[in-house]
Amino acid sequence: MLTNRLLRSLDYTLIGATLLLLAISLVMIGSATHINTASEDRYWYLQRQGLFALLNIVVLVVSLYWDYQQLARMAKGLYVVNLILLLAVMFVGHSALGAQRWIQIGPVSLQPSEFSKLIMIISLAQMLDERKDRLQTWRDLVPIFAYVGVPFLLVMKQPDLGTSLVFLAILFGMLYVAGINQRLLFSIFGAGVAAMPLFWHVLKDYQKQRLTVFIDPGADPLGSGYHIIQSKIAIGSGMLTGKGLFEGTQSQLKFLPENHTDFIFAVIGEELGFIGCLLVLTVFFVLIYRSLQIALGARDDFGCLLAAGIVSMLTFHVLVNVGMTAGIMPVTGIPLPFISYGVSSLTTNMLSIALLLNIYVRRQKLFF
Amino acid sequence: MLSKKFTYRFEILGLLVIAVFLALGTRLFYLQIVAGEHYKGLADGNRIRLTPIMAPRGIFYDKKGVALVTNRPGFAVSLQPSLAYSDGMLSQLAAMLGVPKQEILLRLERGKDSVEPIRIKADISPAMVTRIEERRHELPGVVIEIQPVRAYNYNELAAHVFGYVGEINERELAEAKDKNYRAGTLIGKMGLEKLYDQQLRGVDGGDRVEVDVAGRIVHDLGRREPIPGNNLMLTIDYELQVATEKAVDEHLAYIRAAGGSPNAYGASVVALDPRNGAVLAMVSRPAYNPNLFATGISVSEWKKINDNPYHPMDNKAIGGEYPPGSTFKIVTGLAALETGKVTPEEKIFDSGTHWLVPKGNADGEALGWLNFYDALAKSDNVYFYEMGNRLGIDLLEQYAREFGFGALTGINLPDEAEGLVASRKYKEKVYQEDWYLAETFDAAIGQGFQLATPLQVAVMMSSIANGGIRYQPYLIDRIVSDQGKEIQVFKPRELGRLPFKADYIKLVQQSLRGVALEGGTAAQLAKFPIPLAGKTGTAENSHGKDHGWFVCYAPFDNPEIVVVVMVEQGGYGTTAAVPIAQKVLETAFHIGPSSAPGAKSAVPAPAAAPKKYN
Repeated sequence: MLTNRLLRSLDYTLIGATLLLLAISLVMIGSATHINTASEDRYWYLQRQGLFALLNIVVLVVSLYWDYQQLARMAKGLYVVNLILLLAVMFVGHSALGAQRWIQIGPVSLQPSEFSKLIMIISLAQMLDERKDRLQTWRDLVPIFAYVGVPFLLVMKQPDLGTSLVFLAILFGMLYVAGINQRLLFSIFGAGVAAMPLFWHVLKDYQKQRLTVFIDPGADPLGSGYHIIQSKIAIGSGMLTGKGLFEGTQSQLKFLPENHTDFIFAVIGEELGFIGCLLVLTVFFVLIYRSLQIALGARDDFGCLLAAGIVSMLTFHVLVNVGMTAGIMPVTGIPLPFISYGVSSLTTNMLSIALLLNIYVRRQKLFF
Repeated sequence: MLSKKFTYRFEILGLLVIAVFLALGTRLFYLQIVAGEHYKGLADGNRIRLTPIMAPRGIFYDKKGVALVTNRPGFAVSLQPSLAYSDGMLSQLAAMLGVPKQEILLRLERGKDSVEPIRIKADISPAMVTRIEERRHELPGVVIEIQPVRAYNYNELAAHVFGYVGEINERELAEAKDKNYRAGTLIGKMGLEKLYDQQLRGVDGGDRVEVDVAGRIVHDLGRREPIPGNNLMLTIDYELQVATEKAVDEHLAYIRAAGGSPNAYGASVVALDPRNGAVLAMVSRPAYNPNLFATGISVSEWKKINDNPYHPMDNKAIGGEYPPGSTFKIVTGLAALETGKVTPEEKIFDSGTHWLVPKGNADGEALGWLNFYDALAKSDNVYFYEMGNRLGIDLLEQYAREFGFGALTGINLPDEAEGLVASRKYKEKVYQEDWYLAETFDAAIGQGFQLATPLQVAVMMSSIANGGIRYQPYLIDRIVSDQGKEIQVFKPRELGRLPFKADYIKLVQQSLRGVALEGGTAAQLAKFPIPLAGKTGTAENSHGKDHGWFVCYAPFDNPEIVVVVMVEQGGYGTTAAVPIAQKVLETAFHIGPSSAPGAKSAVPAPAAAPKKYN
């Protein structure tokens, strides 16, 4: 029962971009999981992704009736829930691919680190909203860093380097628009670069390996370099127009690993070519650009910060994921928003869209 | 409001977003548009497997159709190119095949641009094929290729004519880049195998399949049948070749043991048809077994061949250069007759040494008054010194060249030697010295600077036998495709005609007949059932015992065969070479063995030997 006014005030560009990405997602997951070859469970991934897409659309519609500003009050509570979930992963979670990231709830395997990104955006938006005039000195930043630091370390411990890096992207994106002293910001970056060698020692072996093969994939062509090599071959061999849907030899003959999750962009590159890649990137760009517009037009700073955090998150995801498949970013295992298979990731992204729309429809005081 | 106060920060954030997308777009443009073809090639390399089917090499048949060189079925192990191999897998493969891992890595490195499998080991046993098939899943990328293995059915027989095949080396690969050779290809390395490699190798076929990451075949992309190489129909007579080799081996063993020639290991024999130049038999000693090379020779076997001081790999019949010795008197004599320096009737007195230069016969004998016939039949040195004296070195050189000395005969074999004709020019060039009369004397009797290959001497004898036509010697009658189609037919090729009056050639023939009669230097052949003509010779050898020559043709009236025998360090031609030629002729004319066993019967005891002249 959407009212006419609500319907009229929706951001259809954002909705269109989102739906387009979901459609691309379903087609590409179908291709990557070989639904064109006979096997009993060939529709499994497609069905789950489709089902969760629909569920999330319903959640999105319903959530529009509810004002995002209430989230500011819930922020601290969500923060605590987030910590509990991340701790739960440590104790009752199960691991896959060398990392303990999932907890099982009924038939669904949840990845709390995905949700923690959105919760981080909400808690940080609330915190920065309160402290936006006090971001001038190191001392001002200590509580903020501590606040982000706890979930950051928990995620890093899983280990999920990719997601913890997303935290940093969110943190600095939001700090920037919240008005952090620019000289202070540059000092932090300087210190960060200086601390790189120390950071290296904190990394797990496989993470070091990934960074090594990022520099030189030939160093371990069968092991950790394999993903990068095969992914680049897949994308490159797609050339201008691609090999055609279901026709990507790298993907269909399984030379490309993780082709329905982290490396789905390589399937797009191989089967749909440069044209397909440009289309997908354009849709992402439109979506992110609209999100930035929403941030600028938000009714209050809380909404503005929320939208800015989402912009940071999505941009970083696209950069790192597409960059990884194209061989210009290290393999960190973070998914391509909306398109990679994964219900936790999909839900997080759809909730982000829901938030953006919520902020957008409430952009004018006279509304409601 | 932050959006009002820090609008520029949102704009900068927007610019950052734009930069990110531009960077990604640029990278994709590079991967897909700029380097797209490269990656397409890599993707095809991933999925397309080519299992070559090697074409069998052309077969060698003797003139009567006996298959001398064929192929037998075999298997080879190769690795798919452009795959990355784990260290563990390579170690396992190395251990299974007994090939050092270093070697495998080297081969992979060399074949890294190849699209076809990289050969690791040729000719593995069927048991090894089974072992590898059982471990298929542990050995991804390993290919068993069906590979015909070259089979020299009679081992060392005519090894120097056939040559051998071996894996192409880096230099050959670089030279033949455009001819579709790949690393690991077998290529002819010597003899006919080398010269006719392009004809013999045929065209490899192959199975092309599409595979998935686990190596399972997804699609069959089609097979191309191999086209077998073309067959060579040789002029070689298998039966004669066998008899010749046997005669050489037996006689060399005999003279080493009992003939006072302990170092007689090197020898060569050429049998030609004087009517066209076709080679009927060609032998060089010592020999090697080309089968050893067909599957990769072991280090110890190679060392054995390499360390042999008598050079088993050299074809001495075409590559060995020796002073032609007294066989050269044919040239000197004809030149003197033709230029009128001597008449057939003129008698010259041999007092033991020549009156200008104190040189004489080998044992210092004096044969008295001699006409042309006697001088050639008895191989008198003083007479031919005088012929040299009268001709001068320049005429001698000119006529020697008319016989083809100092130039390649052009036989269809690689690595032929030119020999050397004694001349002022040569001496000047090499020694920067003037010519001396004594050197003309040496040249006149085939010593000194003169050098000839046994094949050149055979060509000379052929043109005497057939009345003056110099034919190019050849080994192949025709090349025939696997389907029986004639690809190339070799016709006798005339290289020239001897510039001598028929009467003079006839006189030389008569004199050579005299050589093989009582009183001649090959008198042991006087009773041979087929009348023949010949000439012995002894080539001075400063490094050891002299080399023995014998050249002959038969039947005398209507020559069908020329035989040239050269025995290194065998001493006089009469004892070292004549008995071998006799055996060859016996086989050629199907004459039963002449009494007593082996070659011994033909060799008179040293005490009863006829007078030896060179």
